[in-house]
Amino acid sequence: MSWFDAIINDIIILAKPSLFNIYFALASIPIGFLFAIGLTLMKASKSKIISGIASAYIYAFRGSPLFIQLFMFYSIMLSLNLSVWKPMGIDHIVLHPLFLGPMILILNTSAYSAQILYGAYQNVPKGELEAARSFGMGRVRQFLSVIWPNMIRLAWPAYTNEVVFLFHATALIYFTLPVINEQKDLMNKAGELFEKDYNVFLHFSVAALYYLAISFVIFLAFGLFYKYLMRHEAAAKIKKFKFSPKYIR
Amino acid sequence: MPDWLTNIIGQDLSDGLAYITNGKHMMWYASFRFTIFAGIFGALCALTFGLLGAIMLNSNFFLFRLIGAAYANVVRGVPDVLFFLFFPLAFEQGVEYFLAKSNCTADELAANIGNWPPCPDAQWFLGTNEYLILASVSLGIVYGAFCANVIHGAMKSVNKGQLEAAKAYGMKPMQVMLRVHIPQMWIYALPGLSNIWMLLVKATSLLSLLQIADIVLWADRLGAPNYLKQVGLVHPDWRWKYYLVLFLFYILVTFLSERAFAYLRKKTGKGMVDEAVL
Amino acid sequence: MKKIILAAAIAVALSSAASAQTVRLGTEGAYAPWNFIDDSGKLAGFEIDLGNELCKRAAIECEFVANEWDSIIPNLIAGNYDAIIAGMSITEERKESIDFTQDYYPSDASRYAMAAGANIDFDNLSGIKIGVQGATIHASYVEANLAANNTVLSYETADQSVADLVAGNIDVLLADGSFLDPIIEASSGALKFGGPDILLGGGVGLGLRKGDDDLEAKLNAAIDEVKADGTLDALIAKWFEKGPFYSN
Repeated sequence: MSWFDAIINDIIILAKPSLFNIYFALASIPIGFLFAIGLTLMKASKSKIISGIASAYIYAFRGSPLFIQLFMFYSIMLSLNLSVWKPMGIDHIVLHPLFLGPMILILNTSAYSAQILYGAYQNVPKGELEAARSFGMGRVRQFLSVIWPNMIRLAWPAYTNEVVFLFHATALIYFTLPVINEQKDLMNKAGELFEKDYNVFLHFSVAALYYLAISFVIFLAFGLFYKYLMRHEAAAKIKKFKFSPKYIR
Repeated sequence: MPDWLTNIIGQDLSDGLAYITNGKHMMWYASFRFTIFAGIFGALCALTFGLLGAIMLNSNFFLFRLIGAAYANVVRGVPDVLFFLFFPLAFEQGVEYFLAKSNCTADELAANIGNWPPCPDAQWFLGTNEYLILASVSLGIVYGAFCANVIHGAMKSVNKGQLEAAKAYGMKPMQVMLRVHIPQMWIYALPGLSNIWMLLVKATSLLSLLQIADIVLWADRLGAPNYLKQVGLVHPDWRWKYYLVLFLFYILVTFLSERAFAYLRKKTGKGMVDEAVL
Repeated sequence: MKKIILAAAIAVALSSAASAQTVRLGTEGAYAPWNFIDDSGKLAGFEIDLGNELCKRAAIECEFVANEWDSIIPNLIAGNYDAIIAGMSITEERKESIDFTQDYYPSDASRYAMAAGANIDFDNLSGIKIGVQGATIHASYVEANLAANNTVLSYETADQSVADLVAGNIDVLLADGSFLDPIIEASSGALKFGGPDILLGGGVGLGLRKGDDDLEAKLNAAIDEVKADGTLDALIAKWFEKGPFYSN
């Protein structure tokens, strides 16, 4: 088998495992985003207790490794199994990596995303807010028509980056949660292939290729959406969306 | 436990204290040294690779710029855990490839196709220390790519007048770089670098994937349920408690790091022309 | 020949510099009462006692190295240690890659453990969650015979599989009877044995690199000795109480 065939062969073998990574990302991004909005509103709340809770949550999940969070939540969920999940009859779902994985990712990414959104919230132009208030807008109205549109535009580049990081983070799930039957993700399968023929360069490079390609697609899609968000701006003023934005998680 | 201490704190607390200071727990505490080493040595490597990458990105020579950009972008486009595992394994195989060239006979090579290493004499034995160093370098390469970007940006932020003044003094390009450009860019790079340090610290939790008996592996072993008196204290599954300790440990490290960087920023900011960046 | 995930010596920092003549014994350190790390942080258990005894009789100097189970054979071949003494059953499949000494623990049935209230039809196993430790005879058996209709979860250490059984995340756990026995006894009625006993391995022996005949001969002679003078049975009695024993 020539090296070219070997690469094609690996690309075919790793196609299905890559779906698991995509699934983990797709299952956690939308819900994580909604959670993040909730956390941001909590953090911006005037009540010290509510904003304190949100701040502590964000700090804890941003301040500790996802690797540890995965281990910790798996063992916590496991120890609750007999007393809580079993009686409710949902133990088969709750402890399944395809459920638990995204759940922990959601906890994690909502903290990072909330930090980004909160930063954007603080940078919403004060003038526009004052204008809205002088128009006599209610608080909900203010949020929907002034704060939110500004926030999302400010936050979008950094949020894009967070989504790519989240996609990369899906690689950790099967290092920590039990693998069920043939449900294996990219890293898992690449590792398995490596153990058969010790060709670290081939298998890891092809896995890396998948990650690169999917990361690129995410940048592209989010970049298009950013263009849409900024459609009111002159084209020249829109910062070009680059594959490697400088924001980091 | 000494009797006087037991008298003060009571039997239960004393037993608990004895348990968490027994030999097995001591090994857990000792294993923090791997994490700390990987953090510090990894950060130094990351800074080195980051500086090299940034200098390449800054270079006037097209090829260097290309290499710099490829390094900074490709490494960041894949998960850190992939590169973290790939580099040590690839490095090991690379060394064994050269060992095989000099140590293996043709017959051995023919008999071992599809096997690794090609012959017993080409075996490079890696212990914990070797893996720890490779793991740190690996972290350095991954986060060096992030550093390269941050440092490159910081170098562009340095006041052009400063560089021109240096040139006017008759400094050679290398001297301008080393004496003026790099010393001045730190203040601009610090916020970004502090972010990368936080990422790197969190990545040190991956050491157990590279065959190192680190804090995560010991947490698993200590927390695993035990039903046999001969083995030690009989207890159910306590793993979540140990992971909770690690969870809190990393939060504490993050907190302390933030403090340290805030202090550093205040210090490096002294005497800067452009105090607006503070 | 390395495995990515948790291979190599767990650096239990057991002993330092190994001299050239020292024979290094690889064990897992997470399979009580066979081999485990006790509360003082040292390796202990049936196989540690036995290993030390065998080395004394064979007049060789030995030291123990702890190594993750799923890479224990690759790392023997790679030369990280010279013999495996880790409750490893002698099987034809393993004999293809390594040699074994004669057995030092009689062939022992594999058994199913489950929650006390469980009601499982062992004649017709389907749709249940079966736990095993990865890379064991149990794992191969389940993989070959039961994987099609059931969900198989494989764990890195035996302790992890027990934790999931106790927590109800798996319906049955297939493992060595000698390993499960004390656990079921200690569970005070929460766990029970069930289903058929399955005879899989041909006793437990030390694993050796192929062609390491000198060491094999020495160890075999030492095992003969401890079998003949009852030392081995005494050790089995010390760690397993019920046996099985070599003498009747």
